[in-house]
Amino acid sequence: MSDPAYLSLEQLTLAYGDTVAVDRLDLSIAQGELIALLGPSGCGKTTTMRAIAGLLSPSSGRIRLDGRDITRVGANKRAVGLVFQSYALFPHLTVFENVAFGLRLKGLRGQDLESRVRSGLESVGLSSFSGRKPAELSGGQQQRVALARSMVMEPKVLLLDEPLSNLDARLRLEMRTELQRVQKETGVTMIFVTHDQGEALALADRIVVMLNGGVEQIGTPEEIYNRPGSRFVADFVGFENIFRLDDGKLITEAGPIAIEGTPPDGATGLAWRPAMVELDRGPFEGSVRGVSFAGGTREYLLDTPLGPIKAEADASLPVHDLGARLRFALPVERAAPLVRFG
Amino acid sequence: MTSSLTRSVVLALLLLFLVGPFIVIIAASFSGGDTLAFPPQGFSLQWVVKVFMVQSFRSSFALSMFLAVFATFAALVLGIPASYALARYRIPFGETVRTVVSSPIIVPGIIVGLALLRYLVVPFRIDVILALFLAHTALVLPYAVRVVSASLDNLRSDIEEAAVLLGSSRLGAFFRVVMPNIRGGILAAFILGFVTSFNQVPVSLFLSGPGVQTLPIDMLGYMERTYDPSVAALSSLLAFMSIGIVFLAERFIGFSRYV
Amino acid sequence: MFQNRAEGLALALPAAIFAAIVFVLPVIILLSGGLHVGGHWSGEAYIRFFGGSLNRLVLWRTLELGVLVTLVAAVVGYASAFAIVGLSASAKGRMIGLVVLPLMISPVARTYAWFVILGRTGMVNKALILVGLTDRPVRFLFTETAVFIGLLQLFLPLMVISLVSALENMPRDVVPAARVLGANWLQIFFKVVLPLTREGLVIGGTLVFTGAVTAYITPAILGGSKVLTLVTLLYQRVTIANDLVSASVIALLLIVMSFGANLLLKRLATARNRT
Repeated sequence: MSDPAYLSLEQLTLAYGDTVAVDRLDLSIAQGELIALLGPSGCGKTTTMRAIAGLLSPSSGRIRLDGRDITRVGANKRAVGLVFQSYALFPHLTVFENVAFGLRLKGLRGQDLESRVRSGLESVGLSSFSGRKPAELSGGQQQRVALARSMVMEPKVLLLDEPLSNLDARLRLEMRTELQRVQKETGVTMIFVTHDQGEALALADRIVVMLNGGVEQIGTPEEIYNRPGSRFVADFVGFENIFRLDDGKLITEAGPIAIEGTPPDGATGLAWRPAMVELDRGPFEGSVRGVSFAGGTREYLLDTPLGPIKAEADASLPVHDLGARLRFALPVERAAPLVRFG
Repeated sequence: MTSSLTRSVVLALLLLFLVGPFIVIIAASFSGGDTLAFPPQGFSLQWVVKVFMVQSFRSSFALSMFLAVFATFAALVLGIPASYALARYRIPFGETVRTVVSSPIIVPGIIVGLALLRYLVVPFRIDVILALFLAHTALVLPYAVRVVSASLDNLRSDIEEAAVLLGSSRLGAFFRVVMPNIRGGILAAFILGFVTSFNQVPVSLFLSGPGVQTLPIDMLGYMERTYDPSVAALSSLLAFMSIGIVFLAERFIGFSRYV
Repeated sequence: MFQNRAEGLALALPAAIFAAIVFVLPVIILLSGGLHVGGHWSGEAYIRFFGGSLNRLVLWRTLELGVLVTLVAAVVGYASAFAIVGLSASAKGRMIGLVVLPLMISPVARTYAWFVILGRTGMVNKALILVGLTDRPVRFLFTETAVFIGLLQLFLPLMVISLVSALENMPRDVVPAARVLGANWLQIFFKVVLPLTREGLVIGGTLVFTGAVTAYITPAILGGSKVLTLVTLLYQRVTIANDLVSASVIALLLIVMSFGANLLLKRLATARNRT
């Protein structure tokens, strides 16, 4: 990666009246990175994205892009592209004119314009649709027009708002591949906003998990998935069994419980995915309250002195009946240590 | 819920009541006699011809046309930006602004005309035609705001942001992507405003001066003086004009969606 | 939503200022004229206005006409709306077009037609004489009946359209459901249809009532000076006697009636719904 701070947000704050949507956010993004802003609704990810685009002006803080302070630069002069969640195609213009819109404003005419638009449409596989109106296209096609419309402008940063959420499952995979291909071929810096951790994990080089207007954790998909830094992130990426740690003991419903092994220094909590819980052996015991079949595995919900525990077992093993008592272990060496337990 | 026979009877009676009277005046327009009567005595075009010969009809028609076109135009010039602000901006006292702008529709026209005459036209010595123009503009403004607002509400606002991100200014975005998409609504507002202004009586009643009358006021006066079928002929012509306008509007922009 | 408040205000203010100066202020001054007589605030003008028997008669007649026209329009409106909703899509479109069309035609022309129909030598009188119901022409013009008919024809379309859209927005299959549960048509109308379409009825009713009590052309042509309503009385007071105080009183009465009708109809509709 080249210059680590191609796009940087410094102490970025956006407030409306009493509510602070984004609070002193610091973030550095390198050129050519594919970043996901991940978080639940209201976490400030969309506000952050709109601030980068220039559609919202920050109350304080700075935004720098490619060595230039763009905090007060108008949205129309930033060279930032945005693919809206609703695509926001111009309904009165044809596909060709939608893609040509920005180029015309740049003063392109005639052959130049024609060839730029053609190659833009070609790159998203929509050459034969140039005469259609947006209303005559499917959702997936509309999104690709929106992508082409932004990309022909050769933006320094391309923002995408929930790019996969309006698509059905099959198109989602197709679009994911498409976005990665466009990013690889053009080398554009891409930031997309999503509330779906699956999308973020599958698509991004780095994930920025946001909560309450600030950054909760930044890391590669592997880091976020395997070593969530806080209880919130652990919960968000699918850790089901999360406990506070105090003086080497798990804080449970039944009070502090000692565990085998030594947790890493500085850990204030431990978290296990269902698959990390070992069944049929170990120091704890619980009774089966629920079983559900999940393809290759079977998920168990156990009532235990520690509280409810979710565990997973290979589906080829014999099923345990409701009410059966099972032994289980929470191996410390497999747990994700949580630095923050907020 | 209704059998088809009762339905047909109900609809036939409804149409007879609503549309029948127009058939009567159209027939009366071609009367051969000197006084109003139905069924008409004989057939002639004399009353239709007479309409065009009456000098006062010609000048009042011209005034009504002038008012309807320019007052509606002025109402749109004021109303489109206001509708846009109300739809897209969080402005202080937005609801108050909306109420003020829409209020001429709530208050009976005769009161509007009288108030305007006594407390604006007389004290400030405003010219009769200007006074009529101002009154008609105020009258059409609520229609313009209502119809244009409805069009804007049906248009997603993110296309304006998309236009800005593609390099357009905010004003440019309005003309490049908002206007083309609310054109139908603006045209509908224009037609509705035109018809409202053209047919308006109560507002103009007090404001019309000697020799300066709108067509409907002129017709009312003529009816009191003369009992011949020329007003019927004129009414028929106006009815055909309205039908023609509405028919074309429906054909090209689906007018009834906007009303 | 854009953030820039100044920009928004700059766009909205010209229209607001225009309406305030050309409309709101003059009307407020006019209305205050009846409450502020001889240099001080008092209800004297109102007491004097209601003391006049002609004034009371005209007020009563205006209200009566408004209520009658609204009631008849509601009954005819429901019958017509039911018939229209049952039509096929294209026939429905044409029918609604025909109902709306009169609204776009000059009310002077519309009212004038009744002048022709109801006149001494008009078709109604001709028919009555032909059938032998009367041997001398009956006077219809300049009666309350004529004004009532004119107003009904003028404003009925508003009620029909409101009720058609209310019926179309009614949840599907509630009428068959009530029918299956054993309700008769009267019960279905009062227990199911009316509560579900009351909003349309309130909108249509307000439009019709307000239109009827504030109309000028119809009472002027078909009622003349024999059948005055508040609006024609106001016109007369101003043009004949230059009596701005009475005009102010009538203006306030008209405005109160318009707003009052809306509130009352809303009340009635919700009360009916509760039982």
